[in-house]
Amino acid sequence: MSTTVADLHDHHEDHGPAKGIGRWLFSTNHKDIGTMYLVFSLTMFFIGGVMAMVIRSELAIPGLQFVHPEFFNSMTTMHALIMVFGAVMPAFVGLANWMIPLMIGAPDMALPRMNNWSFWILPVAFSILLSTLFMPGGAPASGWTMYPPLVLQTGNAFPFLIFSVHLMGISSIMGAINVIVTIINMRAPDMTLLKMPMFVWTWLITAYLLIAVMPVLAGAVTMLLTDQFFGTSFFLAAGGGDPVMFQHIFWFFGHPEVYIMILPAFGVISEIIPTFSRKKLFGHDSMVYAASSIAFLSFIVWAHHMFTVGMPLTGQMFFMFATMLIAVPTGVKVFNWVATMWRGAMTFETPMLFSLAFVFLFTIGGFSGLMLAAAPADIQYHDTYFVVAHFHYVLVPGSIFAIMAGVYYWLPKWTGHMYDEKLGKLHFWTSTIFVNLAFFPMHFLGLAGMPRRIPDYSTQFTDFNTIASIGALGFGLSQLIFVLVLFRALKGAKATDRVWEGAHGLEWTLPSPAPYHTWETPPKARIAGEAFE
Amino acid sequence: MNDAERIKNIRRTALIVGAVALAFYIGFIMIGVLRS
Repeated sequence: MSTTVADLHDHHEDHGPAKGIGRWLFSTNHKDIGTMYLVFSLTMFFIGGVMAMVIRSELAIPGLQFVHPEFFNSMTTMHALIMVFGAVMPAFVGLANWMIPLMIGAPDMALPRMNNWSFWILPVAFSILLSTLFMPGGAPASGWTMYPPLVLQTGNAFPFLIFSVHLMGISSIMGAINVIVTIINMRAPDMTLLKMPMFVWTWLITAYLLIAVMPVLAGAVTMLLTDQFFGTSFFLAAGGGDPVMFQHIFWFFGHPEVYIMILPAFGVISEIIPTFSRKKLFGHDSMVYAASSIAFLSFIVWAHHMFTVGMPLTGQMFFMFATMLIAVPTGVKVFNWVATMWRGAMTFETPMLFSLAFVFLFTIGGFSGLMLAAAPADIQYHDTYFVVAHFHYVLVPGSIFAIMAGVYYWLPKWTGHMYDEKLGKLHFWTSTIFVNLAFFPMHFLGLAGMPRRIPDYSTQFTDFNTIASIGALGFGLSQLIFVLVLFRALKGAKATDRVWEGAHGLEWTLPSPAPYHTWETPPKARIAGEAFE
Repeated sequence: MNDAERIKNIRRTALIVGAVALAFYIGFIMIGVLRS
């Protein structure tokens, strides 16, 4: 486990990948592991997507159509757990595995065998979680927040839920340790911290967030486990425990978790916009400080998820204003992206289109977040579809669009072939139209008072729900175009080494596709400096 | 920096970061223990 890349260095420089399944099972190569993370993430994206289709089909018209309410609750719970821990987080870890060593001039991740473990724990964790769908009592149905005492009513699935969440946490923590150790110790000579590309910076900050909060989630679910099976009463009021304490602990993890899913997205966008604007990133250092400020603030705002639970007025004021403060560093980032584009020689290839949509649509999610941060207004919005609209804007045209942008941007470097630009643009436009059709009407539903997590609703909510369901179905089908793009990119036109005319950074000085082993000799100082110059 | 020194640094950083993660895990369970 403690084998480092320097230990392995002498043994692998003269051979390519192993043959057969062993290449993937026992791989310590950051590119192979990155690919596995990305494929796993895409698989989970479709499984979670099918669950979203079940949810939206049921909600397309009022009344109970297809599923029992209990199963509907399982679908909302599993959809969230799978999308958060199985799709978005592993996709960013996949991008980190592929790109961080290439960007900083390192031959691999610092702890390659632990890297293999980090990945292979995930399929086990999600197999366990998905197996609960077939258990007596059904899959977990208490929401991804797992609030007690409700979650303690879960059937046979309960210990499997807790075990799978622990495994996901262990995987994330090991991945985060690897990212931190790699960035701190394996940068090319002359690549000082402030010369690092923004994607590397945002991942370094994200990794510290992961180290701080994934163990908190693990602690919370450990206490749930002991409450259920070992007679403790951490969260059971009958035994002198406090269910609200679980909410505090969960959201101490849960809010930074939001930034874990968005900071690497900021990094991807900060790489792409300068490339297609043919300019340096405006305010690189201020971007670093803004990302660090967002990370710090994410630790002191958790109770804005709990305004309706009840807290002293001073508590409400503190968490309201601290939350609103996050708009300042986020505004710095949006300003810098716009300033980078200002008077740039812009072109609009698919990665840039997804990045521009990210800037616009993530900002909408940010604004609705500000509305929710206002404690008096939140009393009205809480637990309505307005919240669903808010976090889907942050996570779908936010995180997922950034992942798509990153995949389109780096795919030619990975495969050595260009993707089909026409198909890419078709994927972009269908995704963008349908994502808005799916999630924008949810704002109106929420403001009109439709509660979240219900399988049926009053007839006055019908029209917007039908539109949202059509949008969700269209968005889901649009992703099949993405799969087609990926398969066709395995052959397509040959990519050049630099791929994009305006691209700068160490990764673009390598051949396309990137060789199996790269930077076995660290890049010269002058070249390493290019990442920033 | 030679390989031996790099390995030492890698292991030290990994241990420190791992210890921080463990401290958060145990720390938050201790909060639960002290509050209940």
